[in-house]
Amino acid sequence: MIKALELTDLVKKYKNFEAVAGLSLTVAEGEIFALVGPNGVGKSTTLKMIATILTPTSGSVKVFGLDASRDAHAVRELISYLPEEAGAYKNLTGREYLEFMAMVFLKDKARALAAAGEGGLLSGLGPRLGDKIKTYSKGMARKLLLARAVMIKPRLAILDEPTTGLDIVNGYEIRKTIKALAAGGMTFVISSHNMGEIEYLSDRIAVINNGRLLACDTPAALKTRFATDDLEEVFIKLTQ
Amino acid sequence: MNIFFVLLKKEIKELLTRQLLFTIVATLLVFQLIGGLVGSHNKASAARSGIVLLDLDRTALSGRVTKALGGGKAKLTLYAGGGIETALAAPELGAENSFMVIPAGLEGELKAGRPASVEFYSRFKKNASGLGPAMSASRIRRAAQAASAEISAWLLERNAPGLAPAFLMDPAPAREFAVVDGRTAEVSLAQVIGFIQSQTFFFPVAVFFIVILSAQMIMTAVASEKENKTLETLLSSPLDRRLLVMSKLAAASLIAALLSGAYMLGMRSFMAGVTGLGADPSVAVAAAGPALAKLGLMLTTSGYLLVGLSVLFCILCALSIAFILGIMAEDVKSIQAMMTPLMLAYLMPIFIDLSTAHTGLKVLLYAIPFTHAFMAPQNVMMGNYSQVLWGIAYQAAVFAACVTIAARLFSGDALLTMRFRFPGSR
Repeated sequence: MIKALELTDLVKKYKNFEAVAGLSLTVAEGEIFALVGPNGVGKSTTLKMIATILTPTSGSVKVFGLDASRDAHAVRELISYLPEEAGAYKNLTGREYLEFMAMVFLKDKARALAAAGEGGLLSGLGPRLGDKIKTYSKGMARKLLLARAVMIKPRLAILDEPTTGLDIVNGYEIRKTIKALAAGGMTFVISSHNMGEIEYLSDRIAVINNGRLLACDTPAALKTRFATDDLEEVFIKLTQ
Repeated sequence: MNIFFVLLKKEIKELLTRQLLFTIVATLLVFQLIGGLVGSHNKASAARSGIVLLDLDRTALSGRVTKALGGGKAKLTLYAGGGIETALAAPELGAENSFMVIPAGLEGELKAGRPASVEFYSRFKKNASGLGPAMSASRIRRAAQAASAEISAWLLERNAPGLAPAFLMDPAPAREFAVVDGRTAEVSLAQVIGFIQSQTFFFPVAVFFIVILSAQMIMTAVASEKENKTLETLLSSPLDRRLLVMSKLAAASLIAALLSGAYMLGMRSFMAGVTGLGADPSVAVAAAGPALAKLGLMLTTSGYLLVGLSVLFCILCALSIAFILGIMAEDVKSIQAMMTPLMLAYLMPIFIDLSTAHTGLKVLLYAIPFTHAFMAPQNVMMGNYSQVLWGIAYQAAVFAACVTIAARLFSGDALLTMRFRFPGSR
């Protein structure tokens, strides 16, 4: 098994507050791995450390064997990160945004244009790609951002609550896209509060609370362990 | 395409919105329109009102004074309907504000060797505004000088026949010379001061536009990227973070230059409209040009280059400081409050005279990198090149320090975790 991600005793402190308190887990290549937990328990902080934009206080993050602190630049070549409730540049059109981001990540015009073309198809926005992003609905903007995150074909995609606030149709389309890309070999680490979505998407789930890992297994194994058919019940039993 | 230009293009597209372009065009039009309106109003107002003369003496002397005033710039209206009270109440003179009375018996009193007076009345209106009152004061002053000169000439002709009155009244006219750094030229002090002031006051005001606009833009750009979390995406990309910093600095400078160009162009046409002097306000000192050049006050090409370099570093310092403030800003709404210390630091050297400031204040003012840009034209004019060069070196050091701090903040957690809150803000 190739380890796409390995967290070892990961700690992040903000002054006196410990947001992440010794988290250890591994994610295999091609897996869809979900990080779940109540609000403010360190999910986003963990994802930001994996995305190299926050530095761990102690412990380590390894992405395909590369240390996210020491080899941050090399790690950034392998990942793509979609922050929670992220926005886009409002005065650019959808197409301009995809082309710009593709250039930023790939630095080669031909490859960037090809990736942006694919991103355009993945977004499903069709002719609206020619409109400025400020005219997009929340769902359209989120689909564009997800397309941006995966169009460059990262080896590890980090998605922080990818479908929050979306309607049923948009949420369904995004989940379908993630499934299809994972089937193609892309690794996903996602966080979400939607347990139905988590159950549908994830190969394995890590439940965390107060920055600590409470359980990590497949949805089926977790349900068996807690003798229930409902993943939400597992979550409540673990976190209360 | 070079990734720097890709980033620069994106920054410009984000900053140069339709609203901003509309603001630039509207600014130009509003300045032009107001300048034209005020100018034509002033001209019309000047043409409408002049001086109303009441000749109550009706002698050869009063006739001579009347004739002398008639040759002046102001429109002269002779009123023969009575005394000053009647004139002030006369409906046909309702628009007039300046009245001159040659009292009965003026010639007789002077012939007898007794002093006498010519009276001037200025009517103030409760809703007077604009340049009207100032123009009235100037009219009265010129008329008083002309009347006094004519009466003196009349007296001299009577008492010292055979001698030219003009010679007697000003037998040894003053010639003014200015001495700058050992060089002497014949030019009035007023012209030298006017020229230096135009360089030391208008110049900083022009730079002020660029500094404040570009600082505001870069702070907004950084704060909005933080707020929209677009920055988090960029920071997780394999992009050199220094390029992110430099592209933002470059885009803000370019657009600020465009904006301030528009403002200055608008201001020129506004001033041209108001003063009626033409588009170039320096025309007033142009006549003194050769004398100012002889004194070494006119900037040479190398002088302009030095001043330009100082201004460039002034802008770069402001941008890099604004960049740091943008990183610290809680959100876009807090930008205005964050701008205040920068604006105060900029305005301080404009309103405090460095030559009379005490040592502590001087040190404080020289520690502000903008001061050196304001002082640069004056120092170049006065030949203090070493001071200008030291100023540029200091500005470059401040800029380098600020960029280093900004780049460090951009590379560390502080960019996402640092929040500057004002006391009481939520």
